[in-house]
Amino acid sequence: MSLSNQPPDTVDSLHAPASDGTQAGRPCPSVNSLDTPAASAREPHRADPGTEPIPLWVLAACGVVLLVAGGILDLGGAGRFFDYQTMFRQRYERTPAPGAVDQGPPPKEALVAYMAKGSKIYATKCIVCHGPEAKGDGANYPSLVGSKWANGETQRFAMIVLNGLQGPTSSGKAYPGAGMPSQAPGLTPEELAGVMTYVRNHFGNTTGDVITVAMVKEAQKIAAARPKAGQQVTAEELTADHLKALPGPTLDAKAMVDPITLTAVRAAK
Amino acid sequence: MSSAIPTTTDPDAPLCAGIDRSLRHPVMFFLTSGAAWLAVALVLGVIASAKIHSPGLLADCGWLSYGRVFPAHLNLLVYGWGMQAAFAVILWLMAQLSRKPCTSAVTILTAGHVWNLGVALGVVGILSGNGTGMPWMEFPAFTWPVLLVSYFAIVVGAFIQFRVRAAGPVVITQWYLLAALIWLPWIFLTANLMLHCMAGNPVMAAAINAWYKSALVFLFFTPVALGTAYALVTELTGRPVASDAMAKLGFWSLAVIAPWAGMQRLAGAPVPYFLPYVGAAATALLFIPVCAAATNLLRALWSCRETCAASPALRFITAGIVALVLLAAASVLLNLPDSTLRLTQFSLAGYGFDVLAIYGFFSLVMFGAAYFIVPRVTGREWLSGRLMVMHLHFSLYGLVTILLVAVCGGLEHGFNQENWQQPWLRAVVSADPYAVANTFAWCLILFSNLFFLIHLTLMWLRLGLERALPMLLAGARATSPSSAAAAVPLAGAGQAATPHH
Amino acid sequence: MSLRTFILALAASFGVAWLAILVIPFFKMRDLAPIPLPQAKDGASVFFPKRAGRIADGARVYAENGCYLCHTQLVRPTYAGNDLYRPDWGGLKDDADRGDTRRETNAYDFFGETFAQIGVMREGPDLSNIGRRVETLYAAGGDPAAWLYAHLFNPRDNPQLWKSTCPPHPFLFEKREIKGSASADALQADAGANHEWLPDSDAKALVSYLLSLKKDQQVPAALNFAPKKTDGAP
Repeated sequence: MSLSNQPPDTVDSLHAPASDGTQAGRPCPSVNSLDTPAASAREPHRADPGTEPIPLWVLAACGVVLLVAGGILDLGGAGRFFDYQTMFRQRYERTPAPGAVDQGPPPKEALVAYMAKGSKIYATKCIVCHGPEAKGDGANYPSLVGSKWANGETQRFAMIVLNGLQGPTSSGKAYPGAGMPSQAPGLTPEELAGVMTYVRNHFGNTTGDVITVAMVKEAQKIAAARPKAGQQVTAEELTADHLKALPGPTLDAKAMVDPITLTAVRAAK
Repeated sequence: MSSAIPTTTDPDAPLCAGIDRSLRHPVMFFLTSGAAWLAVALVLGVIASAKIHSPGLLADCGWLSYGRVFPAHLNLLVYGWGMQAAFAVILWLMAQLSRKPCTSAVTILTAGHVWNLGVALGVVGILSGNGTGMPWMEFPAFTWPVLLVSYFAIVVGAFIQFRVRAAGPVVITQWYLLAALIWLPWIFLTANLMLHCMAGNPVMAAAINAWYKSALVFLFFTPVALGTAYALVTELTGRPVASDAMAKLGFWSLAVIAPWAGMQRLAGAPVPYFLPYVGAAATALLFIPVCAAATNLLRALWSCRETCAASPALRFITAGIVALVLLAAASVLLNLPDSTLRLTQFSLAGYGFDVLAIYGFFSLVMFGAAYFIVPRVTGREWLSGRLMVMHLHFSLYGLVTILLVAVCGGLEHGFNQENWQQPWLRAVVSADPYAVANTFAWCLILFSNLFFLIHLTLMWLRLGLERALPMLLAGARATSPSSAAAAVPLAGAGQAATPHH
Repeated sequence: MSLRTFILALAASFGVAWLAILVIPFFKMRDLAPIPLPQAKDGASVFFPKRAGRIADGARVYAENGCYLCHTQLVRPTYAGNDLYRPDWGGLKDDADRGDTRRETNAYDFFGETFAQIGVMREGPDLSNIGRRVETLYAAGGDPAAWLYAHLFNPRDNPQLWKSTCPPHPFLFEKREIKGSASADALQADAGANHEWLPDSDAKALVSYLLSLKKDQQVPAALNFAPKKTDGAP
C-alpha cells in the first residue's frame, strides 16, 4: 500500500510499477543496454519487481537463530519474565569452584587458634585496665602475671571474667573503685574462650590448657544460676562455690581446630 | 511517478538538479565537518590504543591519559562523525525521495554549527577531566540539550518534506529514515533524562546506559545505513528491491526486536534477573533483520557484479553490508549467557564489535553514500579513483584486523580472565599482543581516511573535476554504466555517457 | 499504510520495550527497601551498607579519569562468571576474623553513587573490594593510602605490577618544595632535589573512595547464597 493520498496501487509493492519504462524496473544496464520504453516492454519476463518470495535458506537461518534465542529466553532454567523484584537466579546457591577443594581457612592447633583469637580481644578490651603486659598498674588494676586466680581452677577464673569482681583479689589487696566489670556483654562464647585461654598461656603464664567454647557455655549457665546472678563475685563466693574445673570435655592443646569457629576438625585430606 | 532517485532521462531531472543545488551547503557542511571530526577521532583512537600496551607513552599529559582519550575518541566517532554523516545522508535522501528542495538551509547550517560547538565543548570537557563517566555519554551533561535542540532543527525540514512529498509510493528507504528520525530523540531523551536528571538506583542507571549504547547503534545508525544502502543499490544497479516481503520483514523485525537489546552487558549484575537474558536474546535475534536486508541487497549487488566493481559507492556499500552480516553472526555466537557471554562481557571483544558496527558497517556505507552524493551536489567529479581505492582497501585491512582481535583476542582474553587459578597479570599479558594489533589496525584506518579527507576537502573547495564522465574504479570500461551519476543505461555499443545535470 | 499508522506501529513496538525494560524497572528499583538484618552485631537492624569516605567526590574523579574503562566493580554470581572463585575479589577467602567473606555484588552496594561504575572492560582487576585488598594484602602493615598514591602515580613502579597497563597519573599530583620536613603524604617517587610529590585534592578523594570499596560485609539471608552447610558446624 502506498503512503500517498492516491488510490492504492494495484501491486502491493514498495516499488513503483514500471509504467513508463524509464524508472527502475528497467534491466541491469550491463546486461541489456536499452533505454526506450518500447525496448523495456520487450524485456524478457522475470518476476515482477519486489514480489520474489523469501528464499528458503533465509527462513532456515532465521529459524536457527530463533531456536538459539529461545534457548536464551529459558532464563537459565530458573527465572520469570517481568519479575522486577528478583535480582538473582531463583534458588541460586553458589557452585563450588570446580577442581579445587574449598576448605576454608586451614585448621590450626587448638592452643594457637584460641590464643590468636584471644589476643585480639585482649588488645581491645582487657589492655585498657590490665595494661599491655598484663601487669596492671600496681595501684588500681591487678596484675595477671602469675595470678593464682587466673592460673588456677577454670570455673573460678570464668566467674571473674563473666561477672566481674568486687573486693580483694588473689593477692589479698583491695583495689579502689567499683571493681572489675563483667566482660560478658558483647563477647561471643568463642571470644570469651579465646581471651581466657590467652591470659592463661601468655604474659608468663603457662598453664598449657585450653578453655573451650563448650566450657564457656557451661560457665554462662553456672553464672546465670548463681544466687547473686548479675552481680560481681567476691573472693568469698569464689572460694565457697567455684573452686573447680569447668564441666566439659578437655581439648588437647595440639588438636586441630577451625580457627574461626574454634571447633575441632579432622585433619583435611 | 516513481519515487526512485531520478535519472537524467527522467522528466524530473531539472527538479532534482535544483534539489541538489539547494542541498549543496548543508550536505557538504555535514560531510566535511563530520570527516574532520573523524580524523580527530582516529588520531585519538591511535593514541588510546597505543596506551593499552605502552602506558608510559605521553604519560605526563593529563589530557592524553587513556581514561580521557578513549572516551573522547569514541564520542567523537559517534557524535562528531557518525551523526553528522547521518544528517548529510538523511537530508539528501529525504529531499530527493520526496522531490522537494531544501528550503531551510540557513536553519540547518546554523543548527549544524551549534552541533559542532556542542561536540567541541564535549570533547574539550572530556579531555580536561570533566567527563561524566557514562560510556558513550561522556560529554559533560550540559551538552545534551544543545545536541538535542540542534538535532530537531536539522531534521525538522526533512520530516516536513516527507509530509508534503510528491505523490508516489513510499520506498523502504523512507521507512528506515523516518523510523530513525523518530527513534533517535526518544532514545537520546530517555537515556539523558534518566541518567542526568532523575535519581534512581545506580545499577539500573548502568543498565539504561548499556541499553542506550545498543539502541543508538541498532535503532539509529543501522536504519540510516540500511536505508541508504537500499536507495543507492536500487539506483545504481537499476534493479528494484528483489523481495518486498523480505524488505518489510527486515524493517519490522528490526523495529520490534532492537528496542529490547543492550542489557546483556549487565549479566550477573543486581538488576532484575530477566533483563540481561532478554537483551542477549534480542541481540541474537537481530540476525533476522540483518539477514533479510543483507540478502536483498547482496543479491542485487551480486547480480550486477560489474557495476558493483566499477562503482566506488557500491564497493563501499558491499563491504559495509558484509561487515553487518559478520556483526550479526558474532552477536548470535558471542552473547550466549552461561557460555560465551561470560567470556566476552569484559574482554577486548566488546570494543571490537562496537567498532565493527560504527566503522565497519555504518561508516563504510556512509563513505559509499558520500562518493555518490558529493558529485551530485557540487557538480564536480571526484579526482582520482586510486584515492578511493586506497581509502577502501586500507579501511578493510584495518577492519579485518580489528575483527580478528575482537573474536580471537576477545575470547582468549576472556578465557584468561575466567581462569581464576592463575594470577591476574597473566590475563593482562595475554591481551598485550592483541592491543598492539589494534593499534596497527587503527593506524591503517587513519591512513585510509587521510585519502578521504584530502579528496573530500578538494571537492568541497570545488576543485573537483569538471567533466561528464563519472570517476570509476579500476576494471570499468570507459563506457560502463556510471557510478556517480544516475544509472543511465549506457549502450554497450559505444555511446558516450550522457552528461550529468 | 498511512503515516499515522506507521508512527503508531513504531511507537507501539518501541514503547512496549521502553516501558518493560527501562521505565518500569527504573521506578521499581528507585525505592529499594532496606532488608532487616537481625543478626548484625553493630546494632544495625537493617542491611543498607553505608561506606565511609569521600564517596561522591571520589566517584566523580573515578569517572572523570576513565577508571571504569579498564576496571569493573561487579562480582558476578557463579552462574554468570568465575569472579567468586578468585581469593580476593568478592571479599577475602581467608579473612582472619570471619573466614570466607566473599560474596556477590547486590543492589545496595553502590550507595552514595549516582551511577554504578560496573565497568566496560577488565584490563585491570575488579575493584569491588580494592579497599579490603589494599589494607589486608598489598599494604599489610603499612599505609594503605600511601600504597594507592604510589600506584596511581606510576603503577609500573611496583615490581609486582611491572606489566600493568594502568596508566600513570602524575597529573593528579603536585610537586612542591620541601619546607622544613617532608610531608607525611609525600610519595617515595623521586621529585628532584628538595622537592616532593604530594597528592592533590582529586587524588585524595579518589584514594578515599577506593579505600571505601569494601563490599564483603555480612548480608541478610535473602542475599546470602553460600551453600548451606551440612556438617552441623555453627
